[in-house]
Amino acid sequence: MARPGATLRISPAGLRGIVGHGLTATHVLDFAAAFATFLEAPGRVVIGRDPRVSSVMLREGVTSALLAAGHDVVDTGIVPTPVIQHAIRRLGADGGVSIGASHNPAEWNALKFFTRGGSYLSSAQSEELLDIYHLRKFRFAGHAATGRRSEDAGALEQYLDELASEFPLERLQRFRVLVDCTNGTSALVLRRMQERFGLQLILINEALEGRAFVHEPSTTKKMVELQLAPLVKTVGADAGFLFDIDSDRVAFATEEGEAASEELVMAVVADEMLERGPGKTVLTNLSSTALLEEVAARHGGRVVRLPVGRQAVIDALSGYRMQQIAVAGEGTGAVMMPRFPYVYDGIAAMLRILERMERTGRTLGELVAAYPAYTILKGKIPVRTRFIPELFDELEQRWPEARRNRQDGLRLDWEDRWVHVRMSQTEPVIRVICEQRGGAPRRLFDEVMDLVRSYSA
Amino acid sequence: MSRAHQLKISVAGVRGVVGEYLTPNLACAFAQAFGTYVGPGPVVVARDTRASGEMLVHAVTCGLLASGCEVIRIGVVPTPTAQIYVADIRAAGGIAVTASHNPPEYNALKLFNGEGLFFNRYERAELLDLYHQSEFRHAMNEEMRRVAVDAETAPERHFARVMRHVDVEKIRRRRFRVALDAVNGAGSRMSVRWLRDILGCELHAIHADPEQPFPRDPEPRPETLEELGRLVVRVRADVGFAQDPDGDRLAVAGESGRVLDNDDVLALAVDCALRKQKGPVVVNLTTSSAVDDVAARHGCPVYRTPVGEANVVERMRAVHAVIGGEGANGGIIFPAVHACRDSYLGMALLLERMAETGETMNALAASLPRYWRRSGKLPFEHGRLGMMMQALEEALAGAQADRTDGLKLILPDGWVHVRASNTEPLLRVSVEARTKEEADRLYELAVSLR
Repeated sequence: MARPGATLRISPAGLRGIVGHGLTATHVLDFAAAFATFLEAPGRVVIGRDPRVSSVMLREGVTSALLAAGHDVVDTGIVPTPVIQHAIRRLGADGGVSIGASHNPAEWNALKFFTRGGSYLSSAQSEELLDIYHLRKFRFAGHAATGRRSEDAGALEQYLDELASEFPLERLQRFRVLVDCTNGTSALVLRRMQERFGLQLILINEALEGRAFVHEPSTTKKMVELQLAPLVKTVGADAGFLFDIDSDRVAFATEEGEAASEELVMAVVADEMLERGPGKTVLTNLSSTALLEEVAARHGGRVVRLPVGRQAVIDALSGYRMQQIAVAGEGTGAVMMPRFPYVYDGIAAMLRILERMERTGRTLGELVAAYPAYTILKGKIPVRTRFIPELFDELEQRWPEARRNRQDGLRLDWEDRWVHVRMSQTEPVIRVICEQRGGAPRRLFDEVMDLVRSYSA
Repeated sequence: MSRAHQLKISVAGVRGVVGEYLTPNLACAFAQAFGTYVGPGPVVVARDTRASGEMLVHAVTCGLLASGCEVIRIGVVPTPTAQIYVADIRAAGGIAVTASHNPPEYNALKLFNGEGLFFNRYERAELLDLYHQSEFRHAMNEEMRRVAVDAETAPERHFARVMRHVDVEKIRRRRFRVALDAVNGAGSRMSVRWLRDILGCELHAIHADPEQPFPRDPEPRPETLEELGRLVVRVRADVGFAQDPDGDRLAVAGESGRVLDNDDVLALAVDCALRKQKGPVVVNLTTSSAVDDVAARHGCPVYRTPVGEANVVERMRAVHAVIGGEGANGGIIFPAVHACRDSYLGMALLLERMAETGETMNALAASLPRYWRRSGKLPFEHGRLGMMMQALEEALAGAQADRTDGLKLILPDGWVHVRASNTEPLLRVSVEARTKEEADRLYELAVSLR
């Protein structure tokens, strides 16, 4: 039986749900108390939030649970998630919590947890956290050992300092860049970046909104096409970028007003990072574009494919020295670079793309056009969960000649095309992702979809 | 220590030892029940200076926001100040994070309705049912309201109300020399402003730093205020005042450094109030008969209620009392300002009386009828109170009995009261008589009963 549309998800990735209709204050207190117990008390924990109205409720709950366990709380206010991660590392804090639901609609909210250095929790740590949550035996400090709260209004400026030490911001002043902030936290960083470093940024949907965003906060090609691409040419910008609410993801459009596939964010960044070295390894998931293999090959690099989801990348990263890594991330526009390990940062990705334009002297349209065309088709179908193993077996038997990978559902690879069929982590559906070098892999996609549909609920 | 002492969730609210017992999770859930009960209007949140206060304020705010309430945080202020603020801005309700006179490891939530008063007992039972049933309102993102902060206006609103009922100029002209022990509580800064800046006193304050822990047993009564007594003598103050951590209770020392019985302080306050306006007086059963004598001089009736501020206030409203309070607890309630225990009003009433009459505090106290009082506590055991009540009534056959809160036996020249504490697992024994010998006899009799 298919699961009903979930409004609360408690998983190793943290806590996520529709506030007031699934996600309640009780969940917030309990989950935050579990995290406070998980960290060694007394410690110091950095928190920050997105502009959703409900984020204030979550912040209050998280703050009280951390203080009660004896941790001091450093509140960075409304900031992008990467700013929180940077602050954790810079302050030598013991952990952090990002409050906000990123690319989900406004009625959702979530807690993301970080440990020392601003790193996401490993799978083993996440499972320990979840065990503590389920056991509900939380550790509280006595009244005299209750933690203290302080505010760090400088976190954003110091994050900008770090970006300035990594990117040639002065040389990027020549570009006119249109940015759709989607009423999210990127607006705060970019406004200050413009003031401090003279970047020519034209910000739209800059006002922080708590109740409703001007459009769905998703960094897909479709959203760029609808919201941003037509404006790029109108304002005569050299590039257009679109952020989600907590600024860990980005998508872009060229100066010609062409929306780029979200898959290209990672490809362009990988191209630049592989060229500079020293890292030659690209970590990404099974559903991301095969263009990455082609780009890596040009620079003598390699691509390591992992199950879909942030967690798999985080776990894999711990087995590499950072000098080995060129870039890690996902086709969704969430990318991290070795200088700032474990920080998925849309703003840093944007700067890297601008830097590539500046260094190569080519327009964004030219950069994109230089890549061979890949066409990706995506679909989703609700299925009866019980028969999913049979579904994968049948798919595998149908195309015995293909190379197969069963790390996460089933991926079948041919010379110039591939298809990945997997169970979604966020919805009760099977996702089908099919890509081909050149035109659309329509026939393969349709055949797979038909086969999956025969298992549908 | 018994379980009941470490955490108590009752119609009086939530009270407990912070940490394992009174958790943020519990405070948040209780606040959400409260927010569900009072509706989405603004709810005022205040706290005293306990180390756990900030943590609990965040938990309470979380629960209130989750229920769809707007939250107005007014910071560290005394409980009466918070109550007056609630009434002033016509909020939907208020929560004060304070365990009042309890030791520092305790904290509690005091709950107020839209008038800044305690809920009546039926409302409190309803709220408790909501909490137990977990029938909370869960606001969605677009329904959620904001947190506003007003760290400034609450003390001034409180002062303005008191100043409408006392002659501030008359007090200022006397330039009283006043000693203060603010127990590093919620009133620390506000009391300095009140006594020094507004009432024009030469102030000698100790323990007026809200960042420091409580320096003494936080309950203000003669045995805990030796330091204040010495300060009064050293600086040759006209009077000494002491507060509890949430600034609702007041204790007073005369110019000799002797700390008055809290019952005498209330009796003086009753006298002050009835001089301004005649009317009924309401006190709890354990309050001294001195109040009856003072009221009789003014020809005013006295009503008695079970112990507990909520009980006294409920009756005061019913009979339109002009003053009331709880003797031994040091609580003066003057409803023209607000129907709550208020140390600020108490200080002003007494200073005004000293200014009017030119009499010293010792002289004022000496004018009160003389009673001898003794009180003590026994560990609570199930069934013990009933046994004591039976034995006591038998031993003092012929006394007039009042059974509204434990048993009070009224004799021609004194009384005995045994009851169970509302907040701690204790039985309280109080006696009063015209002579020390009689008071001792009654006390020994009561505590020896099995």
